[in-house]
Amino acid sequence: MINFSRFTLDNGLKVLVHEDRSTPLVAMNILYNVGSRDEEPDKTGLAHLFEHLMFGGSVNIPEYDMPLQMVGGDNNAFTSNDITNYYLTIPSDNIETGFWLESDRMLELDFSQKNLDTQKNVVIEEYKQRYLNQPYGDAILKLRPLAYKVHPYRWPTIGMDISQIESVDLENARKFFFSHYAPNNAILTLTGSINHDLAFKLCQKWFGPIEKRIVKSRKLPVEPAQNEERILTIKKDVPSTALYKVWHIGPRKSKDFNTLDLVTDLLAGGESGRLYTKLVREKKLFSEINAYLTSDIDPGLLFLQGKLMKGINIQQAEEAINEVITSLTDKPGINDEMEKVKNKFESSTVFSNTAILNKAMSLAFYELLGNPELINHEVDTYRNISIEMVIEATRKYLVPSNCSTLYYKSTRKGN
Amino acid sequence: MNILRKIQPPLYPIKKVVIPEALSFNLKNGIPVYSIESGTEEIMRVEFTFKAGQIKEYLPLLSSTTNMMLTEGSQNYSSEELNRLLDFYGVFLNLSAEKDRAGIVVFFLSKHIDKVFELCREILFLPAFPEEELDSLMKKRFRWYMVNREKVHNLATDRFFESIFGKGHQYGHQVIKKDFDLMTPALLKDFHVKYYTPDNLAIIISGRIHKKTSGLLNHYFGDLTSGTVYDEEKNTKLKGELKRKVHINKKGTVQTAIRIGSATINKRHPDYTGLKILDSVLGGFFGSRLMKNIREEKGYTYGISSSVTSLDLSGYNIIATEVGKKNCQKTIDEIYKEIRLLQTVHIENDELEIVRNYMSGEMVRMFDGPFALADSFRSAWEFGLDNSYYYRLAEKIKTIDPDEIIELARTYYNIDELYEVTAGTI
Repeated sequence: MINFSRFTLDNGLKVLVHEDRSTPLVAMNILYNVGSRDEEPDKTGLAHLFEHLMFGGSVNIPEYDMPLQMVGGDNNAFTSNDITNYYLTIPSDNIETGFWLESDRMLELDFSQKNLDTQKNVVIEEYKQRYLNQPYGDAILKLRPLAYKVHPYRWPTIGMDISQIESVDLENARKFFFSHYAPNNAILTLTGSINHDLAFKLCQKWFGPIEKRIVKSRKLPVEPAQNEERILTIKKDVPSTALYKVWHIGPRKSKDFNTLDLVTDLLAGGESGRLYTKLVREKKLFSEINAYLTSDIDPGLLFLQGKLMKGINIQQAEEAINEVITSLTDKPGINDEMEKVKNKFESSTVFSNTAILNKAMSLAFYELLGNPELINHEVDTYRNISIEMVIEATRKYLVPSNCSTLYYKSTRKGN
Repeated sequence: MNILRKIQPPLYPIKKVVIPEALSFNLKNGIPVYSIESGTEEIMRVEFTFKAGQIKEYLPLLSSTTNMMLTEGSQNYSSEELNRLLDFYGVFLNLSAEKDRAGIVVFFLSKHIDKVFELCREILFLPAFPEEELDSLMKKRFRWYMVNREKVHNLATDRFFESIFGKGHQYGHQVIKKDFDLMTPALLKDFHVKYYTPDNLAIIISGRIHKKTSGLLNHYFGDLTSGTVYDEEKNTKLKGELKRKVHINKKGTVQTAIRIGSATINKRHPDYTGLKILDSVLGGFFGSRLMKNIREEKGYTYGISSSVTSLDLSGYNIIATEVGKKNCQKTIDEIYKEIRLLQTVHIENDELEIVRNYMSGEMVRMFDGPFALADSFRSAWEFGLDNSYYYRLAEKIKTIDPDEIIELARTYYNIDELYEVTAGTI
């Protein structure tokens, strides 16, 4: 059970505090409710580039990292389709430095041309390292626009194209900041060696004076239902042929989300999952195979990917995948199998909730979803999923007309 | 308000870290157990570690393959059953085969301790090494290998170890295609009989330790006996290759991987704590000189780092990055420039103060929670050291002076002795 207290400042900043005295550290997490889905189609990658700019100094503090390192702190951040999330851990005596740094960069950034130019280069190298200089690295860049036609999930967080990252100027950055970075568009969580009263006092002192801002309202195009199967084939000089399949699912808050999460665990949860057992161990069609949900707030994807063994025909491999999926409805999980994935879910939740940083991130994300209490109920929700619900969700979502497939074919001999 | 915002809140000195001592005892047959009570949740981490790493192998892949086959079937369970049971009891099992040691680490809810230990005994001491599973594993591993050989960072790192330790030594040998055909059940069984023995094992436990732990450990592991004790085989001498600069040409890449470094001292050497601090200054954290210069100033890379690592027979320092090919030579020049600066110019007090404080914070994180505690315990214990190593490190962080940093940089980053490996398209 994770106990927490909760308050909102006058400027709209939401704060959650979870005290855990088993550690000498405090974790501080700030979630900004802005991600790559909030970008204009001709300026994709801006939210992520902006995350980099947040470390280039703020209006009153020339450098972010140095003062934090001075008090033994460590920090990082990530950007997703939905959120931009900043976090730090720090020995508890020095937590006020965390408040000082984070409130100043919420107040206003020091927008410098030099920092923008450097970080554009850094992000371009990141783009190359992750997507261009890895075998199969570009698969995700091809899959998104295949699955999404209008919703901004059609581009990746890093951006659709390097040239769009290159074209960002200081004015774009400044505008982005003032329309998305605001106390009333953020969630602050504090976990670890800190109590409610101290957290409240420091929040009032450092974040209280920041004025509420007008946040750009979110009007995202709704992705129309997919009605027919989509297939894309690409050929590349890679060692093995790979197969990717994605199906549209409901939004993060829909009741089917947890059921489909359990479906992916039945399919690919560990080496005893059905896909691994049937297709890797028994039939030896794949060298690796995996399935998971993208966990997006708007309707996301169930993602399945596998790399083929040498000499295996891709149609044969795909049919075998379809058979495993069908087996979920024909030969639904016997109680043992359901019990297994539920136990594993419970275990993984308990492990994830041992670290203060994980707890800080989860609380913030559940608050964004509208109910931080979910952090204590996920295991029960998962435990209550029935075989009937699994069959129903599989029949509803895992159908060909809802699926996009990428054949990533190797041009090498023997594949 | 602005005046207040320009001044950093008061800085409190980071408290000296107090490290809980591991409780140690022996099972009936002498297996040493180290137990660290910590944490708030009813979970445990148990590591079974054997002197069965790469250093013991007489064929490439032998140590890692033996290790990976442990969960592929045992005397009483098929591979499918083993994996299903592990998942059923919510166990996370990590196989681990490193340069010196190999074994498994299991994470589980304490309430399942009995079943988990039973399965661990099967996995560690009664593996069957079935031929069909081995064949299928080797085919998979070969596919993974082929994918990894496409990545410039793997090409550079593998070649780096060959260069600094020598291709004739287990630390340095590279895996090649034909190695995948040589593994047989008989070879694995032989390796297992020799090195996965109670004599060769230590058990490290942390978390909320179940009261039945020592009884159950004795029940499942205390009666095992070791067979013949094998004499330590003589290892080939560690000897770096003559060629100090190597480029591996890989067509069609947009970034080049760079690895620069050398073999060096390990944790048992008195200079090691100082070397750790020097390494932090150079490239050990976000505020290090390499990160500031190559990423934050010039934007040549997404990341650059240096690290120093201990092995049983040696240690090594390595600087690693991937950069756009047009900036490759410029990056290499800047790396040497930064090393020369460390050898010739005294570090400013302000910079040294940041490193001291950052590292003191890192030390708090190294002992925060049951998993971090166990990792830190193991990485001193395996060198025959105890917590006094960490107290020495903490003391060195506080007291090291700029002269010492120069001296260490001259001794341990002698540019003439560094190896430089690059991989990518020229």
